[in-house]
Order: sequence, then structure tokens, then C-alpha cells
Amino acid sequence: MSKIMTLQEAAARIHDGDILGLGGNVLHRAPMAMVRELVRQNKRDLKLVKTAGAMDVDMLCFGGCVSSVDAGFISYESEYSLAGHYRKAVESGTVKGNEHACYTVISALRAASYGVGFMPVKGLVISDLIDANDYFMRVEDPFTKEPVTVVKAIRPDVAVIHVQEADEEGNARITGPLFEDVLFSRAAKRIILTAENIVHGSAFTGSSKKADIPHFLVEAVVRVPKGAAPCSCPGSYDIDGKNLKEFKGLKDLGGLNAYLKAFEKSDYKG
Amino acid sequence: MMEEKYRVCDIMVCAMARLIPDGSKVFHGVSSHMPMIALLLAKALHAPGAVHLNIPGGTDPDPVRLKKYTSAGPELLERATAYFPLMEVFDLAMRGELDVAFLSGIQFDSRGNVNASVIGDYKKPKVRMPGGAGSAVLIPTAKRAILWRTKHDKRTFVNQVDFVTTRGNVERIITPLCIFKMEHGEMVLETIHPTSSLEEVEENTGFPIKYSNIAYTPLPTKEELSALKRIDPGDFRNIEF
Repeated sequence: MSKIMTLQEAAARIHDGDILGLGGNVLHRAPMAMVRELVRQNKRDLKLVKTAGAMDVDMLCFGGCVSSVDAGFISYESEYSLAGHYRKAVESGTVKGNEHACYTVISALRAASYGVGFMPVKGLVISDLIDANDYFMRVEDPFTKEPVTVVKAIRPDVAVIHVQEADEEGNARITGPLFEDVLFSRAAKRIILTAENIVHGSAFTGSSKKADIPHFLVEAVVRVPKGAAPCSCPGSYDIDGKNLKEFKGLKDLGGLNAYLKAFEKSDYKG
Repeated sequence: MMEEKYRVCDIMVCAMARLIPDGSKVFHGVSSHMPMIALLLAKALHAPGAVHLNIPGGTDPDPVRLKKYTSAGPELLERATAYFPLMEVFDLAMRGELDVAFLSGIQFDSRGNVNASVIGDYKKPKVRMPGGAGSAVLIPTAKRAILWRTKHDKRTFVNQVDFVTTRGNVERIITPLCIFKMEHGEMVLETIHPTSSLEEVEENTGFPIKYSNIAYTPLPTKEELSALKRIDPGDFRNIEF
């Protein structure tokens, strides 16, 4: 059964208030075409989850789509530097910045993927983050009676993952670093894929490198070449620094809308 | 003792590289060009058996060309020997087997507290910083946490951090002026870079400087500088300055 649909149709399956997992890491393989479409569709109250986010989180904060961000790190790294819209949104109180250690996001997703409500995290021992956040708790290890910090499970309503290859049923293969995306595919209730290329299923059956994400976990597949741009997509393209700078220079929502408009042809080419 | 021809970034990267023993398992994360290059330098010189671990998961990468904008990119996996991704590096640290983690922060105090989170109230901060990434779990679990920061002023080295993101096995902090070392729960001045002075360190640090003797950070050698040129021809080690 084909799960291919348009970007607009797939974005319509993400609802206001959803807990949304974002694939990739910092400026690599972020699902930027879907992020742009979520801003165009004026989504609200999204609760974002990612270990280390950058432009994706920043753009959704700019668009007013976000109510909270659970992450270990939000920045464009050294050259492109701080995520100004995320920062401003948290400082003004419109977005709740739920700081994690990247590992506690992983542990929270693991808990969801194992079907349990929380996960012990060994390393989180001395930190103001424990008392400042209701998703961390100190409990007693029932076996050793030692104190241990646990993190509450995060089960995303939906995760969006950009991949290099998917077939129409939703089997997907990732080239290069997987980051936390395979874990996301097991932890989230629903998975939407955007893909550089739609391949025939025989690309997986006839290869020793199988799909990383199997079809039965996936609800929608969208063909979007350049779907991670201006972020990088390993094996396909590197970042578009000029475009990143253009985005970082935008001053207001009018500027953002014009920026998004310029991507429509490429994003809807499917 | 001013040595005009030496650059602070080279002094810092060489100091970091010398702290990496041969055979040790070493991790760096995002926004970490200096430790990434220090690790490649150590492996090229005295520590060929050091194990390079990183976010994309490339064990011991031999990156042909580093990228200016990232220390977490696919080039670290492309020419690596094995795939050992971030979540497994964390697991390794949790079971006590990660030897060195290079991490940073925005504020530090003399008791080894690190703040990478917020200035002001956590719920509605005056300044929301990028966040500690893995620091809050790695600083307590890595056998040695080596920190670096390219700013050294009274807002960075403070009497008391605004927020404790973490505290733990901080061993040293490498700054543009000096190297601090944790001794008996207290940060002491280990060496001053020959490009700086005790007065400059004291004037730019928000807590009283303690030291047992005045020593200077050894300058980069010719061998180190020529290896650096080969490893980092784009001079990305200078990107934070």
C-alpha cells in the first residue's frame, strides 16, 4: 500500500498541541521542508523534542508554532552561532525551555520505546536541572537503596524524519550518521518520512544494507528532494551557508513569510 | 614574557592535546572545533592509540577535510573504522569507561560548578543559553572532564554560578589566559600562558586566584605547529576567537 502523499497532506497530520520529534542533529539532516510547511500551516502549541536542535527549532519558534522545547542543546554551533528566536521565545516566556542533558532525551525516548514510564539515568547526580524540572525525580533504587535520578518517558505523538531513501510503503534507509532517528522511529506513536528519493522496495530486499526504519512503523512518505536544505543531507548536499545567513538576518514575520514563499516551488515539487 | 608570534588558539589546542594519553577513549561534542583538532593532533603525535569518539558515531575518523561550521558532521563517520553513535558513547560513560570528555560552559566558579543553562530564573531566564548538551551527565561520569572556554573575564569566572548545570569530575579548565586545575575541590592556577600574566589572570577572574607556584604553559613546538597546519589547514581552531 502506497503511503506517498504531498507535503501539505502530511503536515496536516501534525496537529496543534502535538509532541513532535525532529530527526537529524544540529545542522545535519533536519526535516526542514516539513518545518517550513508547519510554519506555513500556522501550527500552534507544538512540543518539540530533539537532543541537539538548530535551525529547525529556531524557525518553529520564530513562526510562533511552539509551546515547549525538550532538548540538550539549541544552537547553530560555532560558525552560525546562537538560535536567536528560540532564545528570545524562552526569555519572553512564550516557550518553555525544558533543558535536558542530551542523554536524558535519549533515555526518555528509550523509556517510551520500551513501553515503560521512566528511565534511570546514572550520570545526572548534581544538577539544579533535577529540581527545576518536573520530568526529573530522585528516587531510591529498590535493590541497592542508593539514590538514582529518573527521567519521565517522552512518547512523541509524531516524529518527522528526513531520509535519503524511502520506498512508497515507508521502508527507509539513512546514509551517514543515524543520530537518534532510529530510536525516534521506535518511540513515537506515528512517523512521517520526508525523503530525497523514492526507491523501489527491491533496493532493500536486494541489498545487504537493509532499511533502518521498517514500513510498519511509518504512516506517511513525502518525496522532497532538498528536504533538509539549507541544512546538510549526508551523501547528497552540504549546508547552504548563504541561505542560513539570509534566514538569520530576517527581522519579522513578513520577512519569514517571504523566505518561506521562496521555498514553495522546491518544497512542493514532490 | 610576551611571545608575540604565538597565537592563543595554538597554545590552547596544544595544551589540550598534551592532556590526552595514548590509548585513552576521548569524546567531544557539538561546537567543539578546538578539542576535535586537539584530539587529531594528539593522535598524529604522542597518542596514536587514543580513541576518537564523537556525535555522528565515527570511531577514529580520518577526516580528509574538516568543516568550519560543525564538529558533528558526516565527515567524522565517512572515514571511520566503526559506528559507535552518541547514545552508545553516553552508555560507555555511564558504565565508567569513558576516559576523557571535552566540554564547555558559560560560567564557572572556583568549586568546579559549571553553568551552561541560564542567567536569572530558570523558568523565565534573563539569558537562555544553548544548554549543557551532554555535560550534565558526562562531567560526573567521565573519568576526566576537561573544559575549555575562549572567554576569560569576570562574567565567565565568577564567585558563584547563577545555575548549577552540573559538577563532577572537572579536572582542568583551559582558557585564553591560563590553565586552571581542580585540587581538593578547589580550582587553582596551574599554568599561565606565556602570552598572559598573573596580573591579567587576576584582573579577569571573579574569585581569588590560588597557586602554589608560578608556572607557564609550555609553548607549542615546531612539530606540533606543523602537524596543526596539516590537520587544520582552514584554521578552524581559531573560530571561537
